[in-house]
Amino acid sequence: MDTFDFLMHGFSVATTPQNLLIAFIGAFLGTIVGMLPGLGPINGVAILLPFAYALGLPPESALILLAAVYLGCEYGGRISAILINVPGDAGAIMTTLDGYPLARQGKAGIALSLSAVSSFVGATIATIGVVLFAPILAKWAVSFGPAEYFVLMVFAITCLGGLVGDQPVKTGISALIGLGLATVGVDAVTGIYRFTFDSVNLSDGIQFTTIVIGFFSVSEILILLERTTTGHKVVEQGKRSLLNFKEFTFSLGAMLRSGLMGFVVGILPGAGATIASAMTYASERKIAGDTGTFGEGDLRGVASPEAANNASACGSFVPMLTLGVPGSGTTAVMMGALTLYNITPGPQLFTQQPDIVWGLIASLFICNVILLVLNIPLVGLFAKLLNVPSYVLIPSIAAVSFVGVYSINSTTFDLVFMVALGVFGYFLRKLNFPLSALILGYVLGELMESNLRRALSISQGELSILWSSPITIALWLLAILMVFMPIIRSIYRKRYKKTAV
Amino acid sequence: MTMERLFSGLMALVCFGLIYLAYGYTAPIAYDPIGPRPYPILIFSLLALGTLVVTFRPAQFTKIIDLGFNKAIIRNLILCVIALLVYGMFFESLGFPVATTLMSFAVGLLFDGKPVKTFIFSVIISIALFILFDLFLDVKLPLGLLSGIVG
Repeated sequence: MDTFDFLMHGFSVATTPQNLLIAFIGAFLGTIVGMLPGLGPINGVAILLPFAYALGLPPESALILLAAVYLGCEYGGRISAILINVPGDAGAIMTTLDGYPLARQGKAGIALSLSAVSSFVGATIATIGVVLFAPILAKWAVSFGPAEYFVLMVFAITCLGGLVGDQPVKTGISALIGLGLATVGVDAVTGIYRFTFDSVNLSDGIQFTTIVIGFFSVSEILILLERTTTGHKVVEQGKRSLLNFKEFTFSLGAMLRSGLMGFVVGILPGAGATIASAMTYASERKIAGDTGTFGEGDLRGVASPEAANNASACGSFVPMLTLGVPGSGTTAVMMGALTLYNITPGPQLFTQQPDIVWGLIASLFICNVILLVLNIPLVGLFAKLLNVPSYVLIPSIAAVSFVGVYSINSTTFDLVFMVALGVFGYFLRKLNFPLSALILGYVLGELMESNLRRALSISQGELSILWSSPITIALWLLAILMVFMPIIRSIYRKRYKKTAV
Repeated sequence: MTMERLFSGLMALVCFGLIYLAYGYTAPIAYDPIGPRPYPILIFSLLALGTLVVTFRPAQFTKIIDLGFNKAIIRNLILCVIALLVYGMFFESLGFPVATTLMSFAVGLLFDGKPVKTFIFSVIISIALFILFDLFLDVKLPLGLLSGIVG
């Protein structure tokens, strides 16, 4: 069977009535979660993950649900960015720059529909990219041994250090905290209990949902508590709520370029929607030059970040599906979801679980169509939800988070532990330690240790196996490059400033 | 002494404690060449190193972080954490509907809700979520106090 047959098989999985309904529900919920300021895709996926599991959904349906939520969030983030000048999620920060000015000019409806279309274009480009590249990468990755995997994970973590956050040390610390948390529990090889403090509740390791919901949901509630007083005013949508053909062709180039770039950035482990949208916004502004009105309401300024953040969301599925190394914080959570089902993502997934892989890829296409259809007519309804007061919204989020954690093991310990992690996460966030790195570290932790130990078992303790194949050497070099990336970037920036002067 | 340095310093101390603990993790029989001990020691040593760098690095490498704390915010944060902790601890014994009503009321007040409105919504939230999860989504929730009265 070639790729096309597999894709058709994927569509047959994704178009069963149950999965279509799940995709629809996920897209709807995702849009709401993405729209609400403060709640991003990680929160949405994290809160829904335990329910997908508790409901006994088959793994492919659970993954479709989570993917739909993820894409929905990227669509939803723009609504609040345009209407109240507050990005609904991190990927939509750049959308506020031109989206809100457009809304002030009475063109909110145009900005919303244009951004929906560009989200669709970006995501579609990236999904086609997934179809084309993922099988090739998977085929190549099958030859990876444990040593290659170990180095690949080191590379993924250094990638984070080079690309996420403004201080690599802090990103590194976050990732190491995640790796450290992953060592808690019984050691799979020898049966020794590590860092369990003789607690039965920790002997199986820290539950993944407890970690994610604690770090993201609980800490988010505390962060939101600081800004209760600021009220937002929703801007009216204006007379015309649909873009016309001229506006579409005007921004098409920006959409296509940004979609491609977003996809490439999305593939890199760690670099997610935020970086993709910032990069494309900057490059589109440069391309437009003097003819653009960027910052004052340029249509391309809305189209490019939206195309890019959706493209990068889809692109981040590539490393997760093919290498078992997530491309973003949200796909890290989704990978955790797969491990709940005892499925280890990696190149074997393509041959062993074609239902899951191709069902997921096909559902990316379907979710995009659903989201486009859902988003253009229903945008008014979604905007109304922005008026739900926080004293109703926040307690509901808290309650749903607790139910999610409780549903896995039904213990009080998990709930209290989750709050403790939330407080810890709150301090990490306040001090600019990026939590997405922590989650990536936690997800990779167990795999990293087991691959390292397997590699060293093969070589009977000889460390040189870690740098003896061409792939490992190349990955080490890339990892070293990434470590120096912040320095290279700052030198480049200084030079750029000089020439600009 | 900034918050950042204090926090990192504390993390470093915790790391040393964990490294000390990890020294005791030896397997009775060697199943693989490196065993359960070196990996955690490696991770926590690197973490200790990183946090020590953040604790003691010269001021020119740090960025000033405006925590934006004032007395009212700190008080609200502490109250919110207490509310969530109490919610977690009594989730089972009080049962989901009662515990959630209490938590929603407390957290709702912290988020500037008017007492009467917040209370009404707290009751609605807890009942609605209970029906949604327990009846429709088949996620079994504890009834606690109400276990004799309802279903």
